[in-house]
Amino acid sequence: MIEVNEDNLLRCHICEAVNIDKGEETTCRRCGTIIYHEVFSTQKSWAYLITAIIAYIPANLYPMLITKQFGAVEGSTILGGVVLLWEHGSYPIAMIIFVASILIPLMKFLVLIYLLISVKYPIGKDKSVDKHKLYYMTEAVGPWSMIDVFVVAILAALIHLANVEIVAGTAATAFATSVFFTLLAAHAFDERLIKENK
Amino acid sequence: MKLENEDALDNLIICHQCYTLHEEVPIKDGTKAVCSSCGGILYRYDSKLIEYGLALSITGLIFFILANIFPIVKIELLGHEQFITIPKTFIALFDNGFYVVGLLCAFLIFIFPFMIFIINIVLFTLLKFKVGKTFSKELLILLSHIKPWSMSDIFLISILVALVKLIGYAQINMGTAFWALVVFVIIDLYITKMIHTSEIWMLRRRIYENKGYR
Repeated sequence: MIEVNEDNLLRCHICEAVNIDKGEETTCRRCGTIIYHEVFSTQKSWAYLITAIIAYIPANLYPMLITKQFGAVEGSTILGGVVLLWEHGSYPIAMIIFVASILIPLMKFLVLIYLLISVKYPIGKDKSVDKHKLYYMTEAVGPWSMIDVFVVAILAALIHLANVEIVAGTAATAFATSVFFTLLAAHAFDERLIKENK
Repeated sequence: MKLENEDALDNLIICHQCYTLHEEVPIKDGTKAVCSSCGGILYRYDSKLIEYGLALSITGLIFFILANIFPIVKIELLGHEQFITIPKTFIALFDNGFYVVGLLCAFLIFIFPFMIFIINIVLFTLLKFKVGKTFSKELLILLSHIKPWSMSDIFLISILVALVKLIGYAQINMGTAFWALVVFVIIDLYITKMIHTSEIWMLRRRIYENKGYR
């Protein structure tokens, strides 16, 4: 017989098994993943997040899509592409691209920064925000940022004639890197810390 | 709370949305258990889970193969006909020198979805014949690692967005693979929504441990 405090139980983020919190380093009894590491509790997530934010800057400055039409080369940035679509009257598509490549990444950065700060410092003590739900939502919408990268890939693969050609721009690499690292940051975030700071 | 040993923890479940602790209770065939505080689905019980899982995975794989060998869309631009397939999408990125994006796309829209369906097929086959206790465990762990990185559904929406951008410039014809991809994505979403990884863990425990198989 072992006595367990209910607050000391945590879920493995890989296999979802319930584990007893053994302090500094708990490995999941079912899949062996390290669930918690005192020393690097938020650092890993911070590192990924900062990389993502840095990569997001060139992603917005450089052209995402370069159109070569009869010798004329024209590049459009993410925001430029949205504005162009809006002016052409494709409002739904402009909205999709705007939400997926500007709104979602920015929201994700802010939410993750808030979560990472709030689990360490007292500003997160207010209970009005359900941080578990907030984290769950961020994880769920995060991958949708990839839409713009896929669109560029499809257009680049589809249109490559002698006179008219679409190629991906520098921003495609930067943006893909940014999304990739935001996803890593979200995965690296330790949900147990939310529970601890309630 | 008192527990007999650590294995008794398997009877507990923590909601993946709100982190509330619940005890697992036997439920009727075909019903589901929901979280008492947030209403999220905790687990389902279905006595035919293995058969459904296997059938869906095989169907999904067939459609995935179809979606990869036939053209997704054909366009007519200035009298030239162009088409794309899924592999061509990321190979074009490689050709243009975008190795990072190309590699990322290759994993997200081709390698991971393919792996998930292969793993599902092997996993359900192992469970059906009640063999491979450790191997099924390794497969389940691998599956949990790659599941968040499969983005076929997002790719499908991207195709539609890309095509809307082309309206007015080119004549667009949907290819066979587009419809195959639609079916594949529906099956993929259905499996992700209806067969949760924790349910396969529960199933695995019922199969290997209660019947004393080793």
